[in-house]
Amino acid sequence: MISDRLTKTILFASSLIVLIISAGIVLSLVVGAIPAFKEFGAGFIFTNKWNPTEGHEVYGALPFIAGTLITSFLALILCVPLAFSTSLFIGEYFRNTRVSGILSSLVDLLAGIPSIVYGLWGFYTLRPIVNNLGLSDQGFGIFTSSLILTIMIIPYATSMSTEIIAMVPEELKEAAYSLGATRFEVIFNVIIPNARSGIIASYILALGRALGETMAVTMLIGNSNIVPSGLFATGNTMASIIANQFGEASGLKLSALIAIGLLLFAITGIVNSIGKYIIRKFV
Amino acid sequence: MTINNIPAFIDKAELRNKKNKLFLGLVIVLSVLTVIPIIFIIVKMIINGIGQLNFSFFVRTSPDSLQAMTAIANNETIPGGIANGITGTFLIVLMASVIAVPVGIMIGIYLYENQGRRYSNILRNVSEILQGVPSIVLGIISYLWIVKNVTNGFSAFAGSVSLSIMMLPMLIRSTEETLKMIPDEIIEAAFALGAPYYKVITKVLLPAGFSGLSTGILLSLSRVLGETAPLMMTALGSSVINYNISKPTSAVPLLIWEFYNDPNMVNLIWSSALFLMVLVLSLNILSRRIAAKSKSRNQR
Amino acid sequence: MNKMKNLIILASILSILLSCTSGGKKVAPGDKKISLTAAGATFPMPFYNLAFKKYAENTGVSLTYGGIGSGGGIRSLNDKVVDFGASDAFLTDKEISGMPAEIVQIPTCIGAVVIAYNLPGVDYLKMTPELLENIFMGAITKWNAPGIKAVNPDLALPDMKITVVYRSDGSGTTYIFSDYMTKVSSIWKEKVGTGKSLNWPIGIGAKGNPGVAGTISQSVGSIGYIGSEYAFAQKIQYALVRNSSGNYINPDIKTISSAAKVEIPADTRIMITNSSDPEAYPISGFTWIILYKEQSYSSRSYARAESVVKFLDWLESPDAQAIAETVNYASLPSNVSSVAKNILNTVTFDGKPVLK
Repeated sequence: MISDRLTKTILFASSLIVLIISAGIVLSLVVGAIPAFKEFGAGFIFTNKWNPTEGHEVYGALPFIAGTLITSFLALILCVPLAFSTSLFIGEYFRNTRVSGILSSLVDLLAGIPSIVYGLWGFYTLRPIVNNLGLSDQGFGIFTSSLILTIMIIPYATSMSTEIIAMVPEELKEAAYSLGATRFEVIFNVIIPNARSGIIASYILALGRALGETMAVTMLIGNSNIVPSGLFATGNTMASIIANQFGEASGLKLSALIAIGLLLFAITGIVNSIGKYIIRKFV
Repeated sequence: MTINNIPAFIDKAELRNKKNKLFLGLVIVLSVLTVIPIIFIIVKMIINGIGQLNFSFFVRTSPDSLQAMTAIANNETIPGGIANGITGTFLIVLMASVIAVPVGIMIGIYLYENQGRRYSNILRNVSEILQGVPSIVLGIISYLWIVKNVTNGFSAFAGSVSLSIMMLPMLIRSTEETLKMIPDEIIEAAFALGAPYYKVITKVLLPAGFSGLSTGILLSLSRVLGETAPLMMTALGSSVINYNISKPTSAVPLLIWEFYNDPNMVNLIWSSALFLMVLVLSLNILSRRIAAKSKSRNQR
Repeated sequence: MNKMKNLIILASILSILLSCTSGGKKVAPGDKKISLTAAGATFPMPFYNLAFKKYAENTGVSLTYGGIGSGGGIRSLNDKVVDFGASDAFLTDKEISGMPAEIVQIPTCIGAVVIAYNLPGVDYLKMTPELLENIFMGAITKWNAPGIKAVNPDLALPDMKITVVYRSDGSGTTYIFSDYMTKVSSIWKEKVGTGKSLNWPIGIGAKGNPGVAGTISQSVGSIGYIGSEYAFAQKIQYALVRNSSGNYINPDIKTISSAAKVEIPADTRIMITNSSDPEAYPISGFTWIILYKEQSYSSRSYARAESVVKFLDWLESPDAQAIAETVNYASLPSNVSSVAKNILNTVTFDGKPVLK
């Protein structure tokens, strides 16, 4: 039918939009990053230095790559058990009860808090706790920022997986129960395999959010532009250095910052691919 | 199994039951653990922000530094409010949704219909990578594309474009995953009845996945309602209420940033954040009501 | 029942939206009122917002200012998407040649960098250039070090580690501070230099004035530098600094203004740190507004150009400068504002001066 053809074409055309936008972003970033790569070459990616002093300018992306990867992965690792349990709580165990409705609303609220407020709360509440535990100097550091990232990405990991878990067809579950399975077994043998794709998609989205988070991290990470020496040392992330320096940057520094933006794009892609590959092989 | 093995059989059943109960306990403990920081944050926001909230907070425009300073010196509530931010946020986010929601859902439908194809995999990966782009980079991009070339100045429209790009990945993924959970029989039945493709989408697919779709929309809305960095480079801000999309406009997160940087207006941050939270909560409740109603209508 | 609840929620949201329009000032459609846009440094933002508001009340010309950073302001002017830009540092020759057309710069007010610290009970701490160099470069690490004691014999300095806090984001405040340090310390000049962001030898970085002030107020024994307009509004301890004449100066609006009571070049491109004026607070600096000298570009109207120049002319006047002082910015002494006004007289539209 003609209308079918039309519908299919419209859908296909819409898919091009995302590709065009992404290509445009990469293009703009590449154009802006060329001066930095011309100056430092591919070694830019591995240089552990960030010296903005005029006359001795040396820029390298390694400190920020390290900081981004460590904080985001740590946040994801901490978040998964919490998000997984919460989505099971809301989507399976206590589905459609008042309690889960309240819990679900509370979790969704987290997504609505501006990241600057997270940064402030982290600064005034989390940091003193970490400081008092004597874990790090003044309470700043990788660990503190990972904690705040964990809290921030919980709603992204939870909401979608809850929906997906709740949408597993009743018949499948009932069939398993009729065979004598316990709730636990139904969850791990029926619900999870069925909802696997959606659950994993939500974790990847959450990871993406963590990789790109700026404000909250920049207020808690200590902003030292070297590869962090330990879990509780200070460091910096790619998104944070861009946000911190972009307003005042020009010339070579601006180009270095744009190059870092481009690298973040690439790293997100690489991390996602590796993650999906691992999941396909081992889970 | 002989009668001699009955104790082993019962033991195994007990073990399975124990595992079951243990896991339930674990789930409950971890869920409570998840809630604790949420409550901490909300309580802090309420304690610090509730003092500033009154009706005029929503209808007056933002105060200047002098008003704030004198009010603090005299121990009064700071005058003014965030009306310019509220209207700006609505304007910008509404425009962003109008752009992003249809596009995102359409792409999600496309991916659902074309599973397993190479093109779809590329599309999916690209949209996931887009999710990882820091909001400030999207702001810079929108500055280059829209502020410089389209509106020739900072504008609300440029802000909407940057936010809509941020909303897309979530909309795309949640649409696709939601649609995948719909039992194939329903779709096949619709086609078997001879319905044209677009009707199957609008009358069967979307309503069946409504709950999941609205979650995706809600999540992406919540994400952009609190974003500051992209708006700084695109909408810039404004001290007056503005409905002209080609002019600089304020937004609540922008006001929060201004309050943060002004030594006299720091307390307004919490009240503004409280507003955003209540907004997200209301959207949440609204969408849940609508989803529940559509579910009851769809179930026989 | 549920429908009623939904309607009530919707109605209340709508009523709030509608009431917003009646409460605040709005840009009425069909009104040919000029609205100007400017962007740049965050440092003078409270002053500019206040000044813009007063100007709008008097003349109906509304201004929007975005504090996106000096670099952002210069870029926006370069891209011609704003009427003027604001910068904490004057444009270098290289930057000027990078602009598409000739620009002029005028200083609008003066700010200072105060040395803030957190030592309960220890007020009126005195700092010398040598002490600052030693502390910020890590040569002195304890508060009761002999160097500090020698300058502050009457103060009870504790045996505590000094924690240095600096600005992690690029900022004009850092620029002014480092410019001063470069002038008074050859070691600093060699190892650290001047710039909006630096390679700090020691210390922790915090974002923005609020970040540094917050960190200092929460950590006893810390020391750092903060913009004066921020420090004065908060109750933070800050130090007296010895200036080039040997006097220990307490930073306040008068002493900061005094730093500018020196010879100003015609294009106003001068750093007034380590000022020679005996009453001057040594770590002070101008903030500038930058605009195109020839205002007819990108189909701008004459009315628009006139509004811009008239506004800036007002900003240099005693009325506007008095406003600056109410929010803790130091006003320009008359020698500076007259140079600025001379510059404004050279701004043209189609070759003819805008200000008659």
